Amino acid sequence: MAIKRLFVANRGEIAVRILRTAKKLGIETVLGVSAADRETLGAEMADRAVVLGPAQSSRSYLDVNLVVHAAKATGCDALHPGYGFLSEKPILAKTCEDAGIIFVGPRPDTIEAMGDKLSARAIASDAGVQTVPGTDHIATIEDAKAAATKLGFPVVMKASAGGGGRGMFKAATAEELEASFERASREAEAAFGDGRLYMERFVERARHVEVQIVGDGEGNVVHFGERDCTVQRRYQKLIEEAPASAVPDHVRKRLHEAAVKLTSYAKYRNAGTVEFLYDVDRVDFYFIEVNSRIQVEHPVSEEITGEDLIALQLRVAAGEGLGIRQDQIRMAGHAIEVRVNAEDPFNGFSPAPGRVTAWSPPSGEGVRLDTHARQGYLVPPFYDSMIGKLIVRGKDRDEAIARLLKAIAGFTLEGPRTTLPLAAYIAAHPDFRDNRITTRWLEDKGLPGFGH
Amino acid sequence: MTIKPQDIATLVELFEASNWDELHVQLDGMHIFLSTDPNARLASTPAPTAAPQVFATTQPAVAATPPAAAKASAPAVSSGDVPANWAAVTAPNLGTFYRAPKPGAAPFVEIGQMVDADTEICLLEVMKLFTAVRAGVKGTVRRICVNDADMVEFGQTLFYVEPA
Repeated sequence: MAIKRLFVANRGEIAVRILRTAKKLGIETVLGVSAADRETLGAEMADRAVVLGPAQSSRSYLDVNLVVHAAKATGCDALHPGYGFLSEKPILAKTCEDAGIIFVGPRPDTIEAMGDKLSARAIASDAGVQTVPGTDHIATIEDAKAAATKLGFPVVMKASAGGGGRGMFKAATAEELEASFERASREAEAAFGDGRLYMERFVERARHVEVQIVGDGEGNVVHFGERDCTVQRRYQKLIEEAPASAVPDHVRKRLHEAAVKLTSYAKYRNAGTVEFLYDVDRVDFYFIEVNSRIQVEHPVSEEITGEDLIALQLRVAAGEGLGIRQDQIRMAGHAIEVRVNAEDPFNGFSPAPGRVTAWSPPSGEGVRLDTHARQGYLVPPFYDSMIGKLIVRGKDRDEAIARLLKAIAGFTLEGPRTTLPLAAYIAAHPDFRDNRITTRWLEDKGLPGFGH
Repeated sequence: MTIKPQDIATLVELFEASNWDELHVQLDGMHIFLSTDPNARLASTPAPTAAPQVFATTQPAVAATPPAAAKASAPAVSSGDVPANWAAVTAPNLGTFYRAPKPGAAPFVEIGQMVDADTEICLLEVMKLFTAVRAGVKGTVRRICVNDADMVEFGQTLFYVEPA
């Protein structure tokens, strides 16, 4: 059943990104906006924009019933959730299903199973995919100490319902474990309404690698290579690239196989990302979690494969199958994405909303900008701070880095302070160029040297 | 006792999981009505009361200045200039607009009718949840700007009331 009219339940650059592909495919579009987003690029691009509610997300973008009602009342037959907001809430997928609207994403039960880290780990282990050596739920400090001794310090405690680094802490000794255990459980309870914790061996030198997959829901899965998202601050990705050049070819192949094996076992439907922790010292990887949505960093995979992942999402959602075989997906070149956030990297990354007073984005060979911003755009204070993603492609990593530096230098963006200067600093840093960074590099070494 | 939005959500979930056709809950002057029939309305209009009605807008229903209609919204009935002293009653969220408590019943209000600030003047439906919208101002209904059963957007003008 082909999709005739698509409801886009998101805002910002991803709304624009989805609208662009939908228009290209001749699909009519309706965008649900908050009152703060009436005058945006997305609202202009969509065939129709409807105002859901006030600026406050809880009364607009985060209200499941409101969003689905709007989709239904405007005659849409499918809904794309983008990323963030309700994208990984099983209730959105379920409500769409019940209302007879195609949800462009996984089945509700898949989202549910992948959303809980412990259940996702169980699926991985059933599928024969290796996870970080760790434990099941840990209820008491005594159990925690015994488990840590068995796994070997340092260990990391994580909230079962957690994500984005919240509810996590590292312990190098039994004393540290004791000091943080109670608090972590309380924090998890407060943040997620679920105080359950589990423990994992802590990988001293790690990189974050992930595999982009798309499944047809019947067990057929293709992958679009891997991405390296090791440049992070507080578990938030800042720079993403494809391929992960630091991973040797034979390991990369196993990485792809693991991602396909897991999602094929889960009969995963639509686009997803299988995240792994890559252990630099052991030259091995462990499954972390599955993100059951399109991700912010999907463009780097598109750039090296030449495929349109949003188009594929819509195709699979329409029940038309994958329409592409693994051997038809070719990867060439190197792509890097930097997130342009309205934050002041010179001032503790404080949010910097405001109006864009000068705007002249870079162009040129291998340069792509995914954004909803433009001259005069007001970065609202109500939502996440990302105002765009600058993506560059080159024949290899060196060329991509050179193009990235050139593109940043040629990017005129005045008004809100942004993370662009930090991106340029990182891209020019010898540790980044030599690709010898880890997930802790930015906070431990990169940032202390920035701005001096 | 206070009813939180979460309680309502739970109630709706329970209702949806059940095989009931309708559910009425009345407590502390609040009235909750759930139905599997999208056309169903409250069998009888609850007696006007000062107690807060569940789902009543928490925002002042009257905007100081009528907000600009969204680009896509097309007020079906309203036309012409509106005297500066008329107050716009706007939609607290997107939803489907109903003038009457149930199909075939008399509308909540007609043009020329006197209303108090807490007079219910229409219903907004979101996924079978009906929210009563109150006039928010004492005066005379001068204009009805939306057709029955039309979708309205947040901030869209539903009525104009000439303050008394």
